[in-house]
Amino acid sequence: MNRAPATLSHALTRVTEAALGPYQSAVIRIGFALTWLLYLLREFPYRQELYGPSGPWSLAMVRRLTGDNHAFTALTWVNGQPWFEFCYALAVLAGAALLVGWRTRTASVLFMVGVVSLQNRSIFIGDGGDNVLHLMSIYLVFTRCGQVWSLDARRAARAAAARARGERVRADRTGPALWAVLGLALVTATATGRLFGNSWLIPALLWAVWAALGLWWLVQRRARSDEPRILLDVIANVLHNGALVVIMAEACLIYATAGWYKIQGSRWQDGTAVYYPLHLDYFTPWPGLAGLLSASATMLTIVAYGTVTVQVAFPFTLFNRRVKNVLLVLLILEHAVIAVALGLPFFSLAMITADAVFLPTSFLLRIGRLAARARGRFVREGGGTVPAPRSPEESTSGHVGFTA
Amino acid sequence: MAVGVGVHLLMVFLSVAPPNAVSKQHGKAVEAWVFPEFEQNWKLFAPNPLQQNIAVQVRAEVRMKDGGLITTGWTDLSAQDGAAIHGNLAPSHAQQNELRRGWDFLTATHTDDNRPVGMRGALSEDYLRRIVVLRLYRTDPTSRDGVIQRVQVRSRTTNVQPPSWSDEQVPDKPYYRELPWWTVRADEAAGGVR
Repeated sequence: MNRAPATLSHALTRVTEAALGPYQSAVIRIGFALTWLLYLLREFPYRQELYGPSGPWSLAMVRRLTGDNHAFTALTWVNGQPWFEFCYALAVLAGAALLVGWRTRTASVLFMVGVVSLQNRSIFIGDGGDNVLHLMSIYLVFTRCGQVWSLDARRAARAAAARARGERVRADRTGPALWAVLGLALVTATATGRLFGNSWLIPALLWAVWAALGLWWLVQRRARSDEPRILLDVIANVLHNGALVVIMAEACLIYATAGWYKIQGSRWQDGTAVYYPLHLDYFTPWPGLAGLLSASATMLTIVAYGTVTVQVAFPFTLFNRRVKNVLLVLLILEHAVIAVALGLPFFSLAMITADAVFLPTSFLLRIGRLAARARGRFVREGGGTVPAPRSPEESTSGHVGFTA
Repeated sequence: MAVGVGVHLLMVFLSVAPPNAVSKQHGKAVEAWVFPEFEQNWKLFAPNPLQQNIAVQVRAEVRMKDGGLITTGWTDLSAQDGAAIHGNLAPSHAQQNELRRGWDFLTATHTDDNRPVGMRGALSEDYLRRIVVLRLYRTDPTSRDGVIQRVQVRSRTTNVQPPSWSDEQVPDKPYYRELPWWTVRADEAAGGVR
């Protein structure tokens, strides 16, 4: 009779004492940031047409639509070209900062503002990939996704090593400065009535994160006892773990919806479904490849049935590690083929990233070691003076689980 | 926190599930929660993939420098998109989505006899007109020499022919949907992105 409460308290301890899945949350941070960054760079020559103030979907039209659907976008705050260019550049920088894990929490907030602003400004030019990024950019804000494989983690490890050697660590100046600048921006945007002018959810989130970061800094520096620090840590861990659950559930929902609706389709039943997208003019960058892929009736049927089976089955296989991993490989492979065959690289990269949240830690660690070794070789050949990279475990010891 | 996660996931689930007793009863609450920032549609190629190529074509009435009025032939803008996508590892959204989804937006907000429905119907006409004017000034020689006065848009729908091993028969004659002529506003003709 005592087992249930014991299990419950064990679970409670787990979700409060640590931000789980440090490598998984880092890999999705890197993946989504990379997808968005590559997308923005690819669209740079087309940015005026897609998002610019004088594009076909003009600012006046944006205002009429967002006034009706109350979607958040910073791009309507100021008219004119300079504001747009500033926002686009900021979106690129936020993507880069999140990719390398520089001031990760702040970067994730700015990343979300960039993604949501650009997408909500021009909702009719996006596709499924944009939709994935949109949701994930919001969820990522709640995660501690910079615990490993980030500049933040490296900085923290160096500070800890210096402290261990008995050296004094210089107080961080960049963080408070960044916080002050963003605070000024928030005050300005709020006071001029722009921030909350059309929506409340994202603006409220921005203020909440800003306030929390301030509180965090204050407690780290000034608190006399350990308790406030531990309390904030617990809250951050619970938020992180909750967000990670949402991210995983969202990925399952994507596959479940896609799979269960396909089952009802006659083309998926007769096995020709895959043939048709491969013959749509908007999705055949390589007609020769499309022809090759759709040459065999048997192959097409196997792929159609396989796709539906894997998509429907995926959420249930999470209960079995080995089967889950096999399905993950299949899903990632399929998205890699879609990237090329249907000309949807950004959609595919976003989906592969969503899949990556389910990759086993041991596999991610192996990838991390390979990357570190490759980098070490590269840096040494370059004759650089950068110190040899730490292995992931080394650089994160003491940061993965807060056991205070 | 657990409650928050549970409620959010339930709301999102109800928004993607088929209409059911629960979602009918609480549709307003689900909508209020999910829109606008958590909207999603994952019916990717489902229940059936699109089996038609829909091309958007346009012709224009152009005032030339000598004062004459010329009506151009039809320009297939989707064919231009297709050519740009051909052999492209990373097609731009401007090539793959802009016109295609612009047309979807228009058909979703218009009656079968091409009358706009509500604000979105009107917006979709403005949007599509601005897209085609932009494209014409960029690529159509006649339009580049003069000033576009009016444009007409039509869609050309062709069935994708079934695979060679299939004994299915589908008509291969294209189907046209022609919209009324639209007047191009003076500021549109002069400005915009080129």
